[in-house]
Amino acid sequence: MSDRELHDLVLHALADAPFRASREWRDRALVEPGRLERFARFLARHFYYERIVHFFKYSRALARVTGRCPEAVLKSADFDALLATAVLGSRETARDVAGLAVRHVKEVTPPPPPPPQLPYLNDLLRYEEAMMIAEAGPRMWRDSAHERAAGSREPSAPERVEGTALLDLAYDLPAVLPRLLQSWVEVPQAPAQPVKLLIARSPHGRVTVARADAAVASVVELADGRKTLEQLAREAGLRATDLETTLVGLSDLGAVRFATGS
Amino acid sequence: MAPLMVGAFYNPHLGAELARAQGIDHLAMADPPAPTDPHWPAIKARYTLLLHDYLGQLSEPLDERSIARARALAELYRTPWVAEHFQCLHTEDGRYNINYVFPPLYTDEFLRRFVANAKALQARLDQPLVMENIPGFFDVKASQLPEPVWLRRFFDQTGAGFLLDLPHVWLEAHYRGVKPATWLAEFPLEQVVELHVAGVEEDRDLEGPWIAPAEPTDEMLDFTALAVSRCPAAKAVTFDAFAPSLTSDVLFKSVERIREAL
Repeated sequence: MSDRELHDLVLHALADAPFRASREWRDRALVEPGRLERFARFLARHFYYERIVHFFKYSRALARVTGRCPEAVLKSADFDALLATAVLGSRETARDVAGLAVRHVKEVTPPPPPPPQLPYLNDLLRYEEAMMIAEAGPRMWRDSAHERAAGSREPSAPERVEGTALLDLAYDLPAVLPRLLQSWVEVPQAPAQPVKLLIARSPHGRVTVARADAAVASVVELADGRKTLEQLAREAGLRATDLETTLVGLSDLGAVRFATGS
Repeated sequence: MAPLMVGAFYNPHLGAELARAQGIDHLAMADPPAPTDPHWPAIKARYTLLLHDYLGQLSEPLDERSIARARALAELYRTPWVAEHFQCLHTEDGRYNINYVFPPLYTDEFLRRFVANAKALQARLDQPLVMENIPGFFDVKASQLPEPVWLRRFFDQTGAGFLLDLPHVWLEAHYRGVKPATWLAEFPLEQVVELHVAGVEEDRDLEGPWIAPAEPTDEMLDFTALAVSRCPAAKAVTFDAFAPSLTSDVLFKSVERIREAL
């Protein structure tokens, strides 16, 4: 095993609580276990602090109305209880932590109705939760010759990328979000206008939100990595050229990729 | 010896205060300015800016995308030097990422990797490269060399400058049970270009002190004065705090006290 591989084992142990507890790791006796555990807990709290501050920034901006800062959940017993199973960066742990933040802002379970001046709060929390979950998962840190070559192959069956989400909301959140981060006296209001949003992550970890029309939504829902372009066009009710345009856009966002069949 | 610059990190939430502040010679940039940051034009016009972003971990070669980004930021800031860290925080396959500075194993293999990749980066930059030491909370048994020896070999082989983070040295000394001044003397201080100073606070998870967005203690300021007296090539001292929770009082008071201590 190279030193680089050995270092990756240490990173794995720091990020992955079940691995840290495993015989496979403990038998190596590379690090004093108490110190490792303390540092791993410190890292976990830092890791999810950064993500909650980023993805729940609109809820943070509304804390003076709700009285609830989402990141406060990281000091709770519920978060401490998660640490024994947390895997930093995994979709499961992101889902668990984002769920805690949502419940914290809603204050109690089951949640009460949103405050009257915030009728869109539930939509907002769903949106922020989906963003945080979408960001999770392994990511490409650097381009490599192998990846460039793989990307240049002839595409075939489009496949929805894991973590891609379609959200049906009762309020037009994109119309209000920028205003929440500016100074305001009266709470900015979102139009009561149903919208469908697509949330996707690029291989490099960039999360993007876009309004989704019916064509985009049906392609995302139907792209299972098995249907050919012809089948997809037929089932989505799209012309081949429209499907191609839609797929290029979805691929750029990271919402779909192309199974190469190799 | 030219007068030392004394500065801080650019914290966008304190942009209005920083844009009109007195007594700050430079600002280090941990993130690119947001397109919507209203204070950025004034900040850019007024301050010497130091590039201190995450460019990539030098355990692997930086890819073209990362190099282009580093070059673009260096040009935007007109930075006198480009900073990176002795860190290896994600696994080679991208699966695990601890999202926090973490040192490599201090081995010959990692030294070869960091030297080769730093030289490749230096060849693509128009500014000198400086590298910052990163504290270890625990020792990994696979490490072969003391950190200061490994760093000295790196600087001798690359000609890079040393960004000496003093709280990192102080913390390592604390957790090793040695005097900070004794541990500091082991490092290649003649290579130091910039120093970082910060506060430390008790951390619940670590059950001991760690870096925090707080004022440096009197002990840390005395340690700074001692370190600067031993770094004949130092050009700048930076208050190293970059956090949404940092207040303007702490930032300005810290810079003022650092200046008084030197």
